[in-house]
Amino acid sequence: MLTLLPLSWLTYYGFHDRAGGLTIANFIQLVTDPTFLDPLLTTLILATSSAVTCCAVAAPMGWLVARTDMPLRRTVRALVMASFVTPPFLGAIAWELLAAPNSGLLNKLFRTAAGAEPDEYLFNIYTLPGLIFVISCYTFPYVFVLVANALDRIPGELEDASSILGSSAWTTARRVTVPLALPAVLAGALVAFLQAMTLFGSPAILALPAGFHTMTTKIWSLFQYPPKLELAAAASLPLLVLTVALLRAEAVMLGRRSYTVVGGRQGEPRRVRLGRWKWAALGLAFVVLLNPVFLPYGALLNAAFSRVPSEFVSFDNLTLHNIEFVFFELSSTGLAIRNTLILCTSAATIGTVMAVVVAYMTSRRVVAWHRALAFLATAPVAVPGIVLGVGLFLTYTRPPFVLYGTLWILLIAFVTIALPAAYQQLQSAFRAVNPDLEEASRILGATRLGTLGRITAPLLRTSVIATWCFIFIGVIRELSAAVMLFTSDTKVISVLIFDLNESGDLGAIAVLGIIMLVFTFAVVALINRIPGFGGVRLRNT
Amino acid sequence: MASVELRNLTKRYDKSAAVDGVSLRIEHGLLVCLLGPSGCGKTTTLRLIAGFVEPTAGEIVVGDRVVSSPRRTLPPEARNMSMIFQSYALWPHMTVADNVAYGLTLRKLPRGEIAKKVSAILATAKLTDLSARYPGELSGGQQQRVALARALIVDPETLLLDEPLSNLDANLREEMRYEVRRLHDEYRYTTVYVTHDQSEAMTTADLIAVMNAGKIEQFGPPEDIYARPRSEFVARFIGSSNILKGKALDTDHIVVAGVPVLCAGPGLAAGRNASISIRQHEIRIDQTEPGGERHNVLPAVVARNVFLGHSRDYMVEIGDGTQLRVVTPPEQNIVQGSRVWLRLPAERCRVLES
Amino acid sequence: MPGRNISRRTLLKASGAAAVSAFASPIRAAAPEPTAVTPALIAAARKEGKVVYYTPIDLPVAELIAKAFEAKYPGIAVRVERTGAERVFQRIGQEYASHIHAVDVVTSSDAAHFIVWKRDGLLEPFVPEDVARHYVAEYKDPDGMFAAFRASLSVIGYNTRLVKAEDAPKSFADLLDPKWTGKIVKGHPAYSGTIMTATYEIARDIGWDYFEKLAKQRIMQVQSAADPPKKLGLGERAVMADGNEYVLFQVKESGGPVEAVYPTEGTPFIVSPNGLFKAAPNPNAARLFQCFCFSPECQELVVNRGAMRSLHAQIKDKPGRRPLGEIKLMKEDAAAVERLSEEIKARYTKIFRV
Repeated sequence: MLTLLPLSWLTYYGFHDRAGGLTIANFIQLVTDPTFLDPLLTTLILATSSAVTCCAVAAPMGWLVARTDMPLRRTVRALVMASFVTPPFLGAIAWELLAAPNSGLLNKLFRTAAGAEPDEYLFNIYTLPGLIFVISCYTFPYVFVLVANALDRIPGELEDASSILGSSAWTTARRVTVPLALPAVLAGALVAFLQAMTLFGSPAILALPAGFHTMTTKIWSLFQYPPKLELAAAASLPLLVLTVALLRAEAVMLGRRSYTVVGGRQGEPRRVRLGRWKWAALGLAFVVLLNPVFLPYGALLNAAFSRVPSEFVSFDNLTLHNIEFVFFELSSTGLAIRNTLILCTSAATIGTVMAVVVAYMTSRRVVAWHRALAFLATAPVAVPGIVLGVGLFLTYTRPPFVLYGTLWILLIAFVTIALPAAYQQLQSAFRAVNPDLEEASRILGATRLGTLGRITAPLLRTSVIATWCFIFIGVIRELSAAVMLFTSDTKVISVLIFDLNESGDLGAIAVLGIIMLVFTFAVVALINRIPGFGGVRLRNT
Repeated sequence: MASVELRNLTKRYDKSAAVDGVSLRIEHGLLVCLLGPSGCGKTTTLRLIAGFVEPTAGEIVVGDRVVSSPRRTLPPEARNMSMIFQSYALWPHMTVADNVAYGLTLRKLPRGEIAKKVSAILATAKLTDLSARYPGELSGGQQQRVALARALIVDPETLLLDEPLSNLDANLREEMRYEVRRLHDEYRYTTVYVTHDQSEAMTTADLIAVMNAGKIEQFGPPEDIYARPRSEFVARFIGSSNILKGKALDTDHIVVAGVPVLCAGPGLAAGRNASISIRQHEIRIDQTEPGGERHNVLPAVVARNVFLGHSRDYMVEIGDGTQLRVVTPPEQNIVQGSRVWLRLPAERCRVLES
Repeated sequence: MPGRNISRRTLLKASGAAAVSAFASPIRAAAPEPTAVTPALIAAARKEGKVVYYTPIDLPVAELIAKAFEAKYPGIAVRVERTGAERVFQRIGQEYASHIHAVDVVTSSDAAHFIVWKRDGLLEPFVPEDVARHYVAEYKDPDGMFAAFRASLSVIGYNTRLVKAEDAPKSFADLLDPKWTGKIVKGHPAYSGTIMTATYEIARDIGWDYFEKLAKQRIMQVQSAADPPKKLGLGERAVMADGNEYVLFQVKESGGPVEAVYPTEGTPFIVSPNGLFKAAPNPNAARLFQCFCFSPECQELVVNRGAMRSLHAQIKDKPGRRPLGEIKLMKEDAAAVERLSEEIKARYTKIFRV
């Protein structure tokens, strides 16, 4: 089964550690060679700072959206969703356009506005803080979702009790809401830390020009010819260990509610009145959202239509050449788009089916080993994308299964990556279905399978479709595993963009990026049109 | 119709036994109630009968077929039983008519016939107007009737009910008790009914099995259970009893608070500790000391007197400190603190098995 | 003009002297017969319908060549896979190790790659007619496995808006001046064959401590040799330490504010051969494409639209660009690069920390 694959590569890489001699030799090199220690340190700093930034930003926003009467809350939620689905590497490229020290649009504006010298700049995106900033932009939605959902669930009475006793909105927030939301914030911090640690695209785009490596880019560079696979495997290990440790900590903190879905409201809790502050709050929210959404999208649109990506579009600068180039001259475009769509739909379909079956088996305890199954289904989440890519590469470039070079290996990678979240979602959906409903069907004469088809599946329809869409969106932006495993025949849009960035073709990137976003938002729109999205609501009494 | 027999049925979860060596025979056509507090194992027993749970030991025989045993358990869909769940388990994505027709659809009856049967039973259950609605739009009582209709339409051999009335409000519950009995009388299924409510059991059952901690404490017709409880648990659970403890004098006398009490029921072993039960309304309170015999008359002091409209509820304390509750007609109003004499009719003092 | 050509040829001969020893391999001595483009070849190619071309040539130019081929031979699609030469090499290695034969024709800006491929027996001996007639021996493999498709230079460049011509750096040594700290962009030898070759040549002619000092200038490190000219065009940095001359020309000729500088110590000269693979999936289309690449038509494109240098005897440099004869060139040594490439990459990584 697919779930065995992450484990199979683990054994392979254990074996590979020995291929060049003794097992610990690689690890010793890892620990003593500064070219490895530096990236490790950088990665840790990066992850911690991102986590802190995300929490600092997302927690107040989550509170504003869930517990106050700030206007346009739904819009804000939707915009956070937009940052969630934006591929981080695309955001990184867009921020290159905005904040490169000399050619960045923002810096140019600053120079004209402040009349500064040509080499002064306000923002330099090619720095560690720059990278932290970009990563935080696209990771904060994780924290936001956790905090907002946790706050949604807090009954209004708890805060009422506080205000009746005479405390102001701020005090209530401080002494009642915050402690209640704390587990969610901490869990969110962990998730953000993990995400930041295992991202590949953004560091690859921003760190290398700045002159430093992170663990993920280092692992990737070990794949340059000749590939130093043992070192790559050994370097992946700290990431893996750290991920597993943090996930355990998160599970302890949050119980089983680690994955939740944005959207879908179940009733209004009592809201804090902000009074005059509400416009300030809204302003703050929009300022925050400038960064992941408004500015980068604007930059991409600008670059797509401008002859020189670092110039603002004006009448004499406007060109459709980039679009022409991407669609008519670039020979890989058609293939990449086709591959992407094929892979996304197959991964979504296969992933959903697998998740349904596994979720059914574990939540209804159909087989004796259901706990092991549940573990296997969620295990891949502990494996960072690039590490998975390494492992799959090691597994499938040798007999008996030589799948390297086919779409299959990418499909396996994508499904493995998508499975845990899909499984979690469907598992909670299954739990929401009262087992009585299935038993009632069985006692009237339907077999288990028949019941699954007639009763359970229709009830889960909303969740199944939602899961399909989530996998689709997740796969379309997948870069870290894809970059390890693709060949010229099996290129996908994300890899194409990455390649183009290396040769500096920003105009073409902008067009392709916009195409990606269009696909993504089309699917998001599809989700939102499904009635009752946000959880299957069953009223049985 | 078949009879249902449980032979030494046991179900263990880890170390504890939810159902412990239960043996029971339910003749066909009878309505048997499994009565007991929560956690006593009645629901587990029902689910064992239904086939959702496999026994750890023992067997279940329906008719002359062994349907459940530790080695092999027939799945629920093959047992020709019907069940009504506490939550009704109506499928929210299907209309009332579809819900009711489900069992027949599975049996692949022709559409015309299904339609006929469905409308017939909907009429009986007074649900015809609601046939196109969804369960989410119905009230509790209506949902319950749909559940009933759905279960009955397939003509099962055995009907299982799992606390079907506990989600209804009090008035409806009363009404529905009679309805369930009436339906049973009409169709004569073998019915197993699980409840924690003794008035439900008393109203509907032919036989009651009182369960406690996985075992059956007493099995018999309602009058028997009520009038002749055999254990302290049954005595307390059914009706409202007082338990008196003392030492046995001889086969039918027990000394309680220094007073010999003649009792009925199984013989006592002289010299051993024993208990008897007597219902709250069976004790008479005399304000004057009765002359004549001293046995079955206990002196007491009134500790509390509450007026309930149709009766009075007294708490009295006898010589050895035991507090008894006595229910009397409302006219008898004795002030708190008064000394009274309690008269315990001999035939009402039941000896309890220890 | 004849005079020009002769001086070019002499020059090519001179700088190719070292290349001869590198290109010549002792294994076989006979090159296959030259092949002309025949209708049979075209028909066979059309049957295959496509050709896969791996190249490090900057994408717009590569696609231009592809489209020209498609226009001349309709029905045969060209798929261009463009990435840095070092990556192309790595990818082909990975694919062949997994028995994936996806590539038909390859260009590499690191001539050492062809030494390896030839040694491993992966290349198909094939000599287009143009190669036999118009290319000097120094620029083609005696066994007919590959020939120089184009040549390019890795130049210093600057943005004319940010830097005045008088202040612009004139040599590599100039780049080490503190006034250029934080203003330089350069490519990476682990990605780009051009940069790899250039790095070897510079290290050999000037020494590694040039790089050690350059690293202290806080350079902006990009991957491809085609990127620095673009970054200059964007105005992101003021000066490039290396980068493709032809991309710089293209940026300039489409209006970008850039200018090339040929360093006084010498300009790294990079020859990029073309070859086709024995296990090519579309062998006939591959041959046709190879013939096309060396045809005057394509070479004109290479020079005029691509701004690269051609080694075809009949093709002249575009006016307005400094002719090769007037540039001091650093000699190429493919064998040495092949031997030292790992060391070069490792040392570079150590010095520049990425």
